[in-house]
Amino acid sequence: MRFFDPHIHMASRTTDDYQNMAAAGIRAIIEPAFWMGQPRTNVGSFIDYFSSLVGWERFRASQFGIAHYCAIGINSKEANNEGLAREALEILPNFALKEGVVAIGEIGYDEITPAEEFIYQAQLKFAVEHDMVVMVHSPHRDKKNGIIRSIDVALEMGVPPHKLVIDHNNEETVQSVLDAGAWAAFTIYPNTKMGSERMVEIVRQYGPERIIVDSSADWGVSDPLSVPKTAHLMKERGIDPVAIELTCWGNALEAYAQSGQIDVDELMQDAVIDQSLSYSDNSVLRGQQPRIDEPVKN
Amino acid sequence: MNEQITATLAQLLEPRLSDAALDFWQKAQREVAAGAERSRFSALISMASRHAKRVPLEPTKTELAACQKAVTGWSPQRWNLLELLRVALICTREDVTEPNFAEDFESLFVYADEGETCALYRSLALLPAAERFVWRAGEGCRSNMLSVFSAIALDNPYPVKHFDDTGWNQLVIKALFLELPLHRVIGLDERRSAELTRIALDLADERRSAGRAIAHDLWLCLDANHAERSRALAEQLWPEATPLTRSAIVLGLARAAQHTEVQRLAETESDIDVAHAIDAALGGKFDQQQFARLITNKSETEL
Repeated sequence: MRFFDPHIHMASRTTDDYQNMAAAGIRAIIEPAFWMGQPRTNVGSFIDYFSSLVGWERFRASQFGIAHYCAIGINSKEANNEGLAREALEILPNFALKEGVVAIGEIGYDEITPAEEFIYQAQLKFAVEHDMVVMVHSPHRDKKNGIIRSIDVALEMGVPPHKLVIDHNNEETVQSVLDAGAWAAFTIYPNTKMGSERMVEIVRQYGPERIIVDSSADWGVSDPLSVPKTAHLMKERGIDPVAIELTCWGNALEAYAQSGQIDVDELMQDAVIDQSLSYSDNSVLRGQQPRIDEPVKN
Repeated sequence: MNEQITATLAQLLEPRLSDAALDFWQKAQREVAAGAERSRFSALISMASRHAKRVPLEPTKTELAACQKAVTGWSPQRWNLLELLRVALICTREDVTEPNFAEDFESLFVYADEGETCALYRSLALLPAAERFVWRAGEGCRSNMLSVFSAIALDNPYPVKHFDDTGWNQLVIKALFLELPLHRVIGLDERRSAELTRIALDLADERRSAGRAIAHDLWLCLDANHAERSRALAEQLWPEATPLTRSAIVLGLARAAQHTEVQRLAETESDIDVAHAIDAALGGKFDQQQFARLITNKSETEL
């Protein structure tokens, strides 16, 4: 089986993860911009981080035969440092229009403050102006209210529902998101958020339409293999293979390919390393057979 | 900007663009020529990816000859269409010799993604007063991304012309470490030195001590300096060398001006391919192109 993990923070992960992900069938990923786990102190920190998402990290993924796309955005937590967040907004267009940037994200609310509102709306405006998909992070606290509000504001700003992905859903929020016509993504975490068992039941109950499974693996306790593991559990528990394919591959692909930044035909083929690297056949990994006995040269 | 270069770029580019991409190019060209702001210029470079994809350019022989004529050493053989569009946009700037361009150009590097970075490095050789960007080019050589390093180090006439000795030697030896084909480092034939030879021979010692193989391309680095060490290396490797390695050694010794040694080796050589390499070397054919033909077994058109 072939998998797409449309939400994972690879900058915080190791090459072991990349190897295991490729071996488990993960063919493509989306890395949305995230916070660092501690506050940033200056705009240069955003510049270097965004730059790594469209540069080094994409290259690193390619070494394992995994297609790496990203979403650029200012995280809701970071919106609360108002001065810095405004500076970050200024430089955002320098990265958001790059090749392989499939969305503005992950953006949205954390504490649902006015500062978060301002940064969220400014980024929605940019997305609408540039016809981009939006990936919305939903808050840990007051989740349902936060989700409803993030949808309302996005639609009000002119984001079409089919270009809106709401992430970190649960049993309580999924219906509102589907009713709004947006995509409902689910983060499978080992301990918090959704577990694979609950995910199976959601797909059983709601069917596969506009439902997306992701790992959101980051620097915390999380599992970069959540998507393939959940798919296998779905199979074990008798979910229709078509539904598995849609929730773990096809839906995310359809949602984010609206950016025009994903070559779907190419993804359907087995991974090949960038042609510019092919003259060094014996020094780069081939996607079909990720080499796990030698480090990537650099 | 040199008109021959801009004309050559347009001739390469336009027949390969779709109607929509051609429209983007023509509008962007007018906008850039009229003096677009830095932020707009940068957005146009980024948005080029919406109109041209990373498909190989596959230039014809005639086109390659035109490039070579416009700028000595310029070969877009391995460029992709998106890179070409971006380079063409850069060369559309009317203020390329002015400080304002240099600032905008550097700003592009700061915000560039991988594909843009490669295109920017490829553009260097086409720009006037390109010595302004030598620090930036050195940064490209420090990259850990193979694609970025290759964009500046391979098929690019910029480094041989503008790098100081330290930068040049670092580039050649890094390419060797990365197992990149040194025959594609433009100007290596002309820019070998005692120092480069020493570094290469030291690397060979290091590899031997570690029990590792020595890349064939190492032999391309040698010149007539430190000849005793070059001969000693050849003698150590020869008994267990494969025919291909023996051919590389022969060419390397010829590059080190050790023709007597080559003749001596010829006396016991029975392999037809190696014998061929020896004849070529003794006949004065031991340049990068010859090396590529014999060692990589590629035809003329693939080189």
